[in-house]
Amino acid sequence: MSKTILTIDDSASVRQMIALTLSGAGYQVIEACDGADGFQKATSNPVNAVITDLNMPVMNGIEFIRKYRGDPSSTGVPVIFLTTESADDLKRQAKEAGATGWITKPFNQDQLLAVIRKVVGA
Amino acid sequence: MTEVNDMHDADAAMKALTVGLQGEIFAIEAESVREILDVVPITEVPNARAFVGGLINVRGRVVPLADLRVMFGMDRPPPNTDTRIVVIEIELDGEPTILAVLADKVHDVTDIEAVSVEEAPKVGMRWRQEFVRGIGKRGDDFIIIPDMGRIFGENGGAGQALTSEERFD
Amino acid sequence: MTGPDPAAVFLQEARDLLETLEQALLDLEQSPHDRDLVDSAFRALHTIKGSGAMFGFDDVAAFVHEFETAFDRVRVGDVPPSPGLIAVALSAKDHVHRLIEEPDTHVPAGEPILVALRDIFDAAGWKTEQADAFAEMPAATASGPQGWRVVFRLPEDGLAHGTDPVLLLDELRQLGDCEISVRTDQVPSLDEIDPEVCYFVWDVTLTTDQSREAIEDVFMFIRDDMELSIEPVAEETPAAEENTAETEAVAEAGDAGVAQGAAPKKKAADGATEKSSSSMRVPAERLDELMDRVGELVIAQARLSQIATASNDLNLKAVAEELERLSSGLRDTTMGIRMVPIGTLFGRFRRLIFDLSRDLGKEIEFLTTGEETELDKTVIERLADPLVHIIRNAVDHGLEVPEQRKQVGKPAWGTVRLSAIHSGAEVAISIVDDGAGLDAERIRAKAVSAGLLAEDAHISDQELFQYIFHPGFSTAAEVTSLSGRGVGMDVVKRTMDALRGSIDVSSRPGEGTTVTLRLPLTLAIIDGMLVRVGGGRYSIPLSAVEECVELPSTAEVESKGRNFLNIRGSLVPFLRMRELFNVEAPKELHQKVVVVSAGEFRVGLVVDQIIGNSQTVIKSLSRFHADVETFSGATILGDGTVALILDVGHLVSFGQTFENRLRAENAGRAA
Repeated sequence: MSKTILTIDDSASVRQMIALTLSGAGYQVIEACDGADGFQKATSNPVNAVITDLNMPVMNGIEFIRKYRGDPSSTGVPVIFLTTESADDLKRQAKEAGATGWITKPFNQDQLLAVIRKVVGA
Repeated sequence: MTEVNDMHDADAAMKALTVGLQGEIFAIEAESVREILDVVPITEVPNARAFVGGLINVRGRVVPLADLRVMFGMDRPPPNTDTRIVVIEIELDGEPTILAVLADKVHDVTDIEAVSVEEAPKVGMRWRQEFVRGIGKRGDDFIIIPDMGRIFGENGGAGQALTSEERFD
Repeated sequence: MTGPDPAAVFLQEARDLLETLEQALLDLEQSPHDRDLVDSAFRALHTIKGSGAMFGFDDVAAFVHEFETAFDRVRVGDVPPSPGLIAVALSAKDHVHRLIEEPDTHVPAGEPILVALRDIFDAAGWKTEQADAFAEMPAATASGPQGWRVVFRLPEDGLAHGTDPVLLLDELRQLGDCEISVRTDQVPSLDEIDPEVCYFVWDVTLTTDQSREAIEDVFMFIRDDMELSIEPVAEETPAAEENTAETEAVAEAGDAGVAQGAAPKKKAADGATEKSSSSMRVPAERLDELMDRVGELVIAQARLSQIATASNDLNLKAVAEELERLSSGLRDTTMGIRMVPIGTLFGRFRRLIFDLSRDLGKEIEFLTTGEETELDKTVIERLADPLVHIIRNAVDHGLEVPEQRKQVGKPAWGTVRLSAIHSGAEVAISIVDDGAGLDAERIRAKAVSAGLLAEDAHISDQELFQYIFHPGFSTAAEVTSLSGRGVGMDVVKRTMDALRGSIDVSSRPGEGTTVTLRLPLTLAIIDGMLVRVGGGRYSIPLSAVEECVELPSTAEVESKGRNFLNIRGSLVPFLRMRELFNVEAPKELHQKVVVVSAGEFRVGLVVDQIIGNSQTVIKSLSRFHADVETFSGATILGDGTVALILDVGHLVSFGQTFENRLRAENAGRAA
């Protein structure tokens, strides 16, 4: 029974890398290109985890998490955010808004899988 | 894709489709022949040069129809039951080009031994020497090997395309 | 999940991002206080850096990192985006572009750009900070196996926010042998339980050779908010068996929960294909292929319609009609996919103007309108070079230097206006400058000396200006300043010919020049009106057709001198297609006139019969017919025969010259 992971990023290459990595490891992957798109997909599909970028047009990662955590379907769903800087302020904001964890860019496939296994299991 | 200008040298035979044009036998390099069709409806292109006066539909593709008889100053009787259309693909200025050639009759596919091919004589020929790549012999028959690259390159190319300004007047 | 190579996706994406960056930088020059622009530029940098590092473009990532670090000062408002900064930032952008396009060739130009960037920031009172964003994850320092007592409780919202204690325990187990017990003493009475809160406290005794940091890493995401204690244990502490069992039970429950969550797998897969609201990248060849297929379908459908029309089978007729409707819809959709707003192209020219302005010392205001006007993608791509050329010409040779402009009472800054607008079946793109205008005498002299024009030839300025597009035709000044690019205005003409477009040039001395490119909307399939002239059938693009009228019998017998129709009070010249096409077959008793228009001009085409409308798949004519200007292409009719498509623009302009000549003749006769 494979788990479904939603990846939200405005960068198609990052989305694709994530999708390739995760689908290679047996996960189902749904992609969204910004927070608004992500929210729509996160709430209309049963997802086991969300990986979201922070800095995106239309709706950024923080706004997404705030909105998503306001929706009952998000209960228990880990939300991992991607960040390039180790800016504690953003991390704190994301955590307060309900983020489960983070991945620091640049990351490689192993690092990504390690974090995903950490929060959703294999 | 066939390089028409690339004449096989002395060691090789040329496989050719022989067609009849007003009693003369012409050889078209077999490799360049894509198909041979019965006469299909021909769409006349008003004001185009008589040499390439028509268009035909070859499997959904609009292909120009050339009449070599114009180039060789021959009579052009209307098509009859022997008339065929030979679709060829040749490389013109580096671009593969598909075109169709009208033939009064299609004879056969034959090997023309390179040794039997002579250069076109400079005199004693009715047509422009540069359009003929060589004259082959088979038995008592002469086979004309037209230089497709020259015929279509020069006349189909941009060189003469600019001379039609006056056509409407 | 299959797809193109992610690195290729990255390349394409990086190109787009660099484009975005450039636009943002150029916009910032105009409105330095626009936060959104700064954010947009920053975001672009950020993404390039992040994905660049992931896809092995280390040079790119390293360079962009410094670029971004510097630019962050703009973002936080420390440094204003001055024109100098933007110029350096643009060259930095160019450098990144080179790094991406030619990753193997080491380009040492990066350092001076960074130095220039730093200088600007240093001048603004900021010391460059060489932060290393690529710090490795903290390495675990190994030591001998040791016992640890780990006691933790999740944060209140931990469960709700997706932290799964089972996974944390699994992770601890991976570090070494674990003895796990659960304290349930904090669980409240049932009516007080919040199902989203985890009340358990776990007490784990872990024997591992990993460091304390490795254990802390297990809790890295929650450790700030949770209760966690990690203490080394001196001696072994035996754990209670029953507590371990309880934990297993929790673990199973957890698994079941997860399994449930993932159960509607089908639906999730549907969601993955449901990406329609977001955009998607498709290789252009696939679109071309799709268009070809649609073209074949349309031709097949035309055949079916013809068969159905001849048949009495009502079912067949119904199906044929349905199919016609569907294929027409499919055609429109497919062509819609290929339509791209021309604004994507306009953007590029702002950089060109920026650079030209600097290089030539001319102040330029660049205005664009009609960015939303859509054109076939292929057309847009091929327009880039011609437009660059025309704009360069306008700035280089059209616009005067500021002093000169002031002398003649113009504002110091020149204006170049780029606009696009739909007109009928065409899109008209104009490049207007308010410079010195074309020198008609000089062009004339040049045309005469090049043997292109008779000395006493009487032609309008508009016709004369067309000579600037003649191959090898350029005034001396042009040769020097444009030689670097190695292209002439003839490139413009050739491209426009290939796209079945036309070029108009108008110019007034001292006031400026307007170059208008007219292009057909699409290159693929159009609605056509099929007409018959003699034995031949021809298709006229329906979008150019204004109306159809019967040729009045009076006009029928008129001499050639009066080829005009009076259509509701306005005189419309008409062309007898039979004459144009040298048709000898007897003509119809009642000839029809199809009135077509291109731009503001109209012309009537006299035909023998109007057959009807049909979808017309445009096939281009071969090189052998490039000289026949009356036709823009050919199409295949339902019965499999080929029909030629009339080039309306050409016919209209032919009608115009026809009209002009008649007027001149009449004037001559009157004199």
